[in-house]
Amino acid sequence: MFRLFLASRYMLARPVSYLAMCAIAVAVMALITVISVMNGFLMETRHIVRGTTADIIVLPRQDPAVNVTASREAFEAIVAAHPEVAGVCARLVRPAVVKVHGTTNTSLGDSIFSSLNQVLVLGIDPVAEGPVTDLTHYLEPVGGKDNRDIEVTDRSQPFLLDRREIADGSLRNAGLPHVLVGEPRMRTLNLSRGDALEMVTVPEGSALENQSIRATTQTFVISGTFETGKHDFDMGTVFVPRDDFRAWTGTKQQFSELYVRCKDGADLARVRDELKSAFNRARLAATVETWMDRHSVYLGAVENERNILGFVLALFVLLTCTITFSMLTMMVQEKVRDIGILSAMGAGAGGIGAVFALCGLYVAGLGGVLGLLLGELLSSKINVVKDWIESTFDIQIFNRDVYAFTEIPTSIHHELNVAIVVGTACFSVFICLLPALRAARMDPVEALRHE
Amino acid sequence: MSDTDALPAEAFAPLVEAPPRKPRGPVVLAARDLTRRYRMGQETIEVLRGASLDLHAGESVAIMGRSGAGKSTLLHLLGLLDRPDSGSLRIDGVESAGLSRAARARLRNASVGFVFQFYHLLPELSALENAMLPRMISHGPLEWFSERREAREHALALLDELGLASRARHRPAKLSGGERQRVAIARALVGRPRLLLCDEPTGNLDERTSAVIADQLFALSARHGHTLVLVTHDAELAGRADRTLLLHEGRLDLPQGQS
Repeated sequence: MFRLFLASRYMLARPVSYLAMCAIAVAVMALITVISVMNGFLMETRHIVRGTTADIIVLPRQDPAVNVTASREAFEAIVAAHPEVAGVCARLVRPAVVKVHGTTNTSLGDSIFSSLNQVLVLGIDPVAEGPVTDLTHYLEPVGGKDNRDIEVTDRSQPFLLDRREIADGSLRNAGLPHVLVGEPRMRTLNLSRGDALEMVTVPEGSALENQSIRATTQTFVISGTFETGKHDFDMGTVFVPRDDFRAWTGTKQQFSELYVRCKDGADLARVRDELKSAFNRARLAATVETWMDRHSVYLGAVENERNILGFVLALFVLLTCTITFSMLTMMVQEKVRDIGILSAMGAGAGGIGAVFALCGLYVAGLGGVLGLLLGELLSSKINVVKDWIESTFDIQIFNRDVYAFTEIPTSIHHELNVAIVVGTACFSVFICLLPALRAARMDPVEALRHE
Repeated sequence: MSDTDALPAEAFAPLVEAPPRKPRGPVVLAARDLTRRYRMGQETIEVLRGASLDLHAGESVAIMGRSGAGKSTLLHLLGLLDRPDSGSLRIDGVESAGLSRAARARLRNASVGFVFQFYHLLPELSALENAMLPRMISHGPLEWFSERREAREHALALLDELGLASRARHRPAKLSGGERQRVAIARALVGRPRLLLCDEPTGNLDERTSAVIADQLFALSARHGHTLVLVTHDAELAGRADRTLLLHEGRLDLPQGQS
């Protein structure tokens, strides 16, 4: 009993114990907050990336032995036959250059944004997309977020547009196809719903003639906008109806990619592997990847950033734990006579060592728990704190234009945070074993004679 | 095993001792031919050269000797704080030579109480907590919950006997030298040890306080039946003991004039 009692008394009697405790609390708080924020970033990023794609993407490979045009149904049939698949839709993909109708500028090297006018055109069937992708979720109220009084009339039919809404009256009777454009692109080009947009692409089967290639241009009318939060995607992607896409590009392809939605809780990697096997058995050449495979570099970068920050801050926590070591080393030096007295009272070497090891555990444990509480509190209220700092000190600590989120995202993992505290306490006890062992091994007679 | 019957035959070898003033109880401690050497650089100093001693239950023994004679060394050996280089030491019939450090600590906690010249109280604890410390050491956290009340009452009763009941919550820094030594006596007695080892218990106190402390020490040890060993330079204090031994050239002898 004396171990717990004396350790608490020794700790409470020393201001340096409180300092060490505070240092550990601050370090643990910082680690928990940063991990929570980085996990929040990762979660939001995954959510955004996930939102622009499907669970699994099937890309038919160019194989002379396989007639891709004729095999869409075969691909879809194999995919749909998988018991874990909830839905499938086909997309056509083609790069293009955009320009505002009525202008002549199609420069790829725009001074504002290097890829300003280059987009990826996705030909979709909005009805088929509905149950498979989250496109309808990202459809913006017409005119953008700042103009919410005009709502999308029907999210399931985003290409619908009353021709009276076409800004250029001369185009109202032209029967032009419609297009969905990302909000950032709309802002950059100063476009609104009903404006016309021209897109230039190379038609199917074009060949180089006299060092040049024939391009095909089509004028589209903007029927709506979308914003996923993933800037590159929003800036560099437009959606057009699949039939209009085929008419414009002249492609005979029925699909460039199959987007597959799996049932909730499905193991995507397993479904991917099983689909691969099924295509192989059917002698269909295809690349099958999950949405995480497709964005592994991007997601990996965010994850890597989180891990590096976590590692650096974990080192910081370990560094603060060494304060406990210094504190205990000094304490053992100060308490040499006490060690002799305790020996004279009948305390064993283990008991004496335990007193000092427990001091380290108290400091690290209490500091860690305090850090846990503060860290979780700060993580949960980080936007309140951010707003207060920004308004009080007139500084910007979170630029919402840089990120796809309006607030700092956090994801608090209680188990991980508890593990951080336990790890901190264990490490502290471990490094405190050295001074504790020194105390335990002290000769009681020498200790009693210590001046 | 606390009686002499339990000791081997060699334990009854003739010892140089003063005649007892009162009937002797069973042997609590039997030391035979204790030797202790220290190395000081190249030099070896032989502090004890075969000190032998029997301590009987309830008796008081004063050990005198010049400074550096090895009185404190002998006391540390008797209290199991140190190990002799050779010789035998039995406490309550238990031979200490073969005991592990942990077992020696347990035996020390159960059978020995120390009173030091410089009190040696823990400054972070109150007088009462200091006095309770040996009981705390002897119990684990779970046992302590059932023992705590009795240990506290016993420590308070001892402090009360020593006139310190009103100072029980005070830290050592707030106590006078005499009060600190009385707390140290209460601490030494709280575990009800058979053996009370006092190293110059009045050596740091003024004459009047020394007399009071000595009175209380002898009275308490007599009342509670402790065997009292006093290491002292104070002849007057030594004279109050049942017998006095002189540590001279590493051995225990009778002082001149005693037979």
